[in-house]
Amino acid sequence: MTGEGASPAAVPVRDRLPRGDLVGARVAADFAAPLASALADELTGYLRLEPGDALLGVGGSEAVITLESGVPVLAYDAGDDADGPAALAALAGTTPVRVERYRLPADALDPLHDPGTDGTEPFRVAPGAPARELAGDDALAERTREAAPADRRAAGGDHDALAAFLADEERVEAVRREARAEARARADEWGLGDQLAE
Amino acid sequence: MVEAFAVASGKGGTGKTTTTLALGMALARRYDVTVVDADTGMANLLFHAGLADAPVTLQDLLAPDARGPDGAAVDVADACYDRHGMRVVPCGTSLAGFERSDPARLREVVAELAADTDVLLLDSPATLASKSAVLPIVLADRVVVVTQPTIPALSDALKVQEYAASYGTGIAGVLFNKVRGDLGSVGTQAERYFEGPMLGSVPDSDAARAARDAGEPLLAHAPDSDAAEAYRAAAAGIDPEANAASDVADRFRSAVVPDRP
Repeated sequence: MTGEGASPAAVPVRDRLPRGDLVGARVAADFAAPLASALADELTGYLRLEPGDALLGVGGSEAVITLESGVPVLAYDAGDDADGPAALAALAGTTPVRVERYRLPADALDPLHDPGTDGTEPFRVAPGAPARELAGDDALAERTREAAPADRRAAGGDHDALAAFLADEERVEAVRREARAEARARADEWGLGDQLAE
Repeated sequence: MVEAFAVASGKGGTGKTTTTLALGMALARRYDVTVVDADTGMANLLFHAGLADAPVTLQDLLAPDARGPDGAAVDVADACYDRHGMRVVPCGTSLAGFERSDPARLREVVAELAADTDVLLLDSPATLASKSAVLPIVLADRVVVVTQPTIPALSDALKVQEYAASYGTGIAGVLFNKVRGDLGSVGTQAERYFEGPMLGSVPDSDAARAARDAGEPLLAHAPDSDAAEAYRAAAAGIDPEANAASDVADRFRSAVVPDRP
């Protein structure tokens, strides 16, 4: 499928995204609320997301999810330099997150949302993928999928974000390490310390 | 012999109760199986098993005076129902019953059940955030981890595994549920991080929803469905170990008293 000349990846979407009108900003405890309100408002534009570690001055990364009538289309994570499903994997679990909502005229996004000339769409995510992978909200994912244009409802690649997450060994080990520390801390808190294995 | 399994996911919506009953029915072809709704705060197994009208449930056994709705004394056998080849112990959903129940009594009830079965399946709460929610994981010999192929669900599944390991509880395996399309490389990728085998991949299924609506376990409602077949294959990957019934009973009896969920 790879054609000659520049692929879309060589012309970063992040450099071509026009600046929209800021219509709201908040710190959200999880991803469900901002995704649900974007869908309810049928927002066309993008969400600029600043993960919790960046808020604490640790990271400094940011991510963007573009929207057509509230339905996610593209995603990228500038911090991890990740695109599409991999960007969702990079963002997952990074709450609290600061969310800025920007509005754009639909035609301003057309050049970005049109498939690349070689047919590849590295930034594209399935309509329900952000709700499913970031918010863990199956019902919101289904509502989002139903709101998508017919030609996007059957978008494949359902497990790409999870595959990207699992490929990041350091990240998965960090989840396990934190869970072990949490389990032991809570065992002490709950008086279950004597039930712990050595 | 008896081996106690907690069926746990760490999050809601993964189809844990459907899975508990499906694995129970499949294992009941080879073993004496007892299924207990150990999610006393959000009990729902009774609806899946056609026991919504069960006159006596676990809630009555957990009442300090162990009395049923009509005021008569009840014992464990009164809350056991033979359904679909298994012994099923549902939990009621009445608020008064919940408030009246003493979770500490769960240990005794489960210890008594363990004395007379091969496989004990504990349908566990969909959270790890309270003492009573983790109790089934603390008490069980091994955990069957139920997850979905999404990042949040798999992260919670990893948490379940690490909580289990912290309490010396093993992993019987990992089951991917509500899978759309082909799992692709995800199963193999995930297996690297779990201490137990991948038990299988159960397709997202209208049959599972229809079974729940009909108040029947999936394997009774739609035994020929792809999902039912996947559950039977997953159950074949679980090999219950023979433990002395008295060991398991003692472990339950010696466990700590949980707070209310």
